[in-house]
Amino acid sequence: MTALLTISGLTVSFGSFTALDGVDLTVHEKELRFLIGPNGAGKTTLIDVVTGRTRPDAGSVVFAGADITGLSEHRVVRAGIGRTFQTAAVFEALTVADNVDLAASFRMPAHRLLRRRDRSSVPEELDRVGLAHLAGRRAGELSHGRRQWLEIAMLLAQKPGLLLLDEPVAGMSAAERERTGELLTAIAEETTVLVVEHDMEFLRRHARAVTVLHEGRVLAEGDPDAVRADERVAEVYLGRAADREAADA
Amino acid sequence: MTTTHAPPPASPAAPAAGRRTVPSALLVAGAAALALAAAPLLLDEFRLGLLTRYLCYAIAAVGIAVAWGRGGMLTLGHGVFFGIGAYAMAAHMTLANTPDGGLPSFMVWNGLEALPALWVPFRSLAATLAAVVLLPGAVALLLGWAVFRRRVRGAYFAILNQALAAAFAILLVGQQHLTGGSSGLTDLPVLAGFDLTAPGAGLWLYALVAAVLLGVWAGYSRLMDSRYGALLVAVRASEERVRFLGYDPTWVKTSAYVLSAVAAGAAGALFVPVTGIITPALVGVIPSIQLVLMAALGGRYSLIGAAVGAVALGAAETAFSETFAGGWLYLQGALFVAVIALAPRGLAGLAESAAAAVRRRASAAPPGAGPGAGHPVPGRKA
Repeated sequence: MTALLTISGLTVSFGSFTALDGVDLTVHEKELRFLIGPNGAGKTTLIDVVTGRTRPDAGSVVFAGADITGLSEHRVVRAGIGRTFQTAAVFEALTVADNVDLAASFRMPAHRLLRRRDRSSVPEELDRVGLAHLAGRRAGELSHGRRQWLEIAMLLAQKPGLLLLDEPVAGMSAAERERTGELLTAIAEETTVLVVEHDMEFLRRHARAVTVLHEGRVLAEGDPDAVRADERVAEVYLGRAADREAADA
Repeated sequence: MTTTHAPPPASPAAPAAGRRTVPSALLVAGAAALALAAAPLLLDEFRLGLLTRYLCYAIAAVGIAVAWGRGGMLTLGHGVFFGIGAYAMAAHMTLANTPDGGLPSFMVWNGLEALPALWVPFRSLAATLAAVVLLPGAVALLLGWAVFRRRVRGAYFAILNQALAAAFAILLVGQQHLTGGSSGLTDLPVLAGFDLTAPGAGLWLYALVAAVLLGVWAGYSRLMDSRYGALLVAVRASEERVRFLGYDPTWVKTSAYVLSAVAAGAAGALFVPVTGIITPALVGVIPSIQLVLMAALGGRYSLIGAAVGAVALGAAETAFSETFAGGWLYLQGALFVAVIALAPRGLAGLAESAAAAVRRRASAAPPGAGPGAGHPVPGRKA
């Protein structure tokens, strides 16, 4: 296995609050990695640093052999890293097909961006996420779950080397979660995927490798069973989740 | 698949949207061209002159629809770009009306003995025609790049523009020896060797302005139909998201700002031969706001809507000023509030809603052809 993303000694603080405290994390090619941790563990901050949204105080991010620490957002995307957001950020005023088309065209030279478009074909990525029949609709008309899929289709159209998904199944129905899990597993056969997730059931069903963050540090790492068996993890995270599940039941 | 999905959308025609827009755009273009061709037959010379003036504003309004409507940049200072075009043209026409080797009379009164270097290029018509689009474009390029790169947007951008328009008007008044001060540049009867006071000249000017308007509208509309147009709308919705798609929004916004400045510059340059005058009061804060109001009234999301808004507002101003002088300014303010609150998509939006309602009524007639009936179930994984 070759390392695709290597994060070393990453530290980020906002005022007196340390969001990330010397995090080391390696993600290998064609891996489906889950990043979990309680609220405030630093999961989204980690993604923000990798994608250039937040600048780290210390540490480095190396992607595919190149140091991308501190690059601006669009340059990180051009380097081959795509991300989604917790609330699906699709362009509501544009059609579903135009959303994907725009994502796919990001490497196009300016003079081609100015040309009139041929709108007759439906991007294949829409087929993949099961939205091809909605290609002509405005993205604003889509349900929450379908927006998440549209966002994934947009990322796939960019053919990134690494996909970062921030809570892709939050707010989805059970059936939608299941379908998203299958989709991610299929995507991970071609692309490396890092998923930030809260949902323990989703994790149990679909994760193969898990990294647990807690208070800005890596607490544990390994396959889902090993991580679940870890006492410290049970204490800070699974224990609480189990309590919550018990309370829900 | 599930329970959480939204109900079928209200508009049954939505899936066909991509196909439907092309013929309707052609229809609108045809109707606009026809109306412009018919106007000289229906209006007397005075009214035609007024319409020509409104069409100049319409050219600027089309540009504002691009920057503000599509790109979300509230350009409250377009009087600057309009003014640069107008003053460049007025400088040329002033020199054209001055005997060789002489000085424009306002310069003589200001004690100048030689033509200032700033004025020299405007002796040439070709240089002037280039300047009326290139100068506003260059100013917008520098300003846009500096501002958008620092991620200045929203109200801050609008206020910055507004301040710029105020400063520009003050500068024009202050530099009396170069600009004619607050009385501006007047007495401009000749353009390219044609006497603009001759009978029939008004018709030629009308034809010229109408042609430029159609050209700008057709060119910008086509551009909005490209990926760049979609990108601009995407930037309006979320600059941040566009950045995470690998585009730099700075250039997307700057280029739209430049396009709108170029249209305003051309509009200003045409305004001068049409009205025969340019003053700081015609390019300052209030005209800048009026240009935005025109686009808002007509429909800022629609390029042709903005143009129609310019003509409608101009006609309304003339009609009201003829009856209640002085009340117009208040009415205009009220109109702006009403449009923003009640019809944010302007006249174009009202027209679209009406057309959609008619279509709905028509498609509701045949029974059993409901929109949700034939939706395929999405494949689990293709």
